[in-house]
Amino acid sequence: MSEAGRVGIVLVSHSAALAAGTAELAGQVGGGEVIVMPAGGTDDGRLGTSIAKIRHALAAADSGAGVVVLPDLGSSVLTVRALLADGEGLPEPLAVADAPFVEGAVAATIAAAVGGDVKAVASAAEEARRARKL
Amino acid sequence: MRASSEASITLAGDLHARPAGSLAIAAAKFESSIELATAGRSADAKSVLSVMGIGATSGQVVTVRAIGPDAAQAVAAIAGILADATKVGS
Repeated sequence: MSEAGRVGIVLVSHSAALAAGTAELAGQVGGGEVIVMPAGGTDDGRLGTSIAKIRHALAAADSGAGVVVLPDLGSSVLTVRALLADGEGLPEPLAVADAPFVEGAVAATIAAAVGGDVKAVASAAEEARRARKL
Repeated sequence: MRASSEASITLAGDLHARPAGSLAIAAAKFESSIELATAGRSADAKSVLSVMGIGATSGQVVTVRAIGPDAAQAVAAIAGILADATKVGS
């Protein structure tokens, strides 16, 4: 476990409710040990994505060990990419996980809870693609 | 030394998401590999999605098997969590 604390998770969705609900679920499965921040919807509460919300969530999720971002679909990915390309004032290290949203969020949160670094947390999210639920 | 250890628990309730998380977090602290097995399925105890994926329900027997230097401690800890976390009302 690093001195800098645990890796934080940011969930970027088109829907504020989807991001918030997934963050609540992942946070509880992780036993409340990990900061899981939702960044869903536009600034005025419609479906869409908001760079300002994502920036706020990144700052809130970072306790010094870095942040892993999970985008849900399509333009969430584009918005996150645009933000990363801009690059200023972002947590370091920062990784974007190519992962199923709910399963990835849960797996990432557990990996962060046991002290995984950004790379381990992003890998746990991406490996969630292979998990069978039936 | 590669010790192995095993214990079986009859679940008092379903293995829900939250206890699956506690179990995976506890399992990660051990060096041993830890497997959960029900009649038809098995899971890596260190993978929360794998643990949820076995869909263990009330009344099922779950066998905890560990192989590694801390196998006995791992089985005791994981079996304890399985017994506690699936108590009705938890």
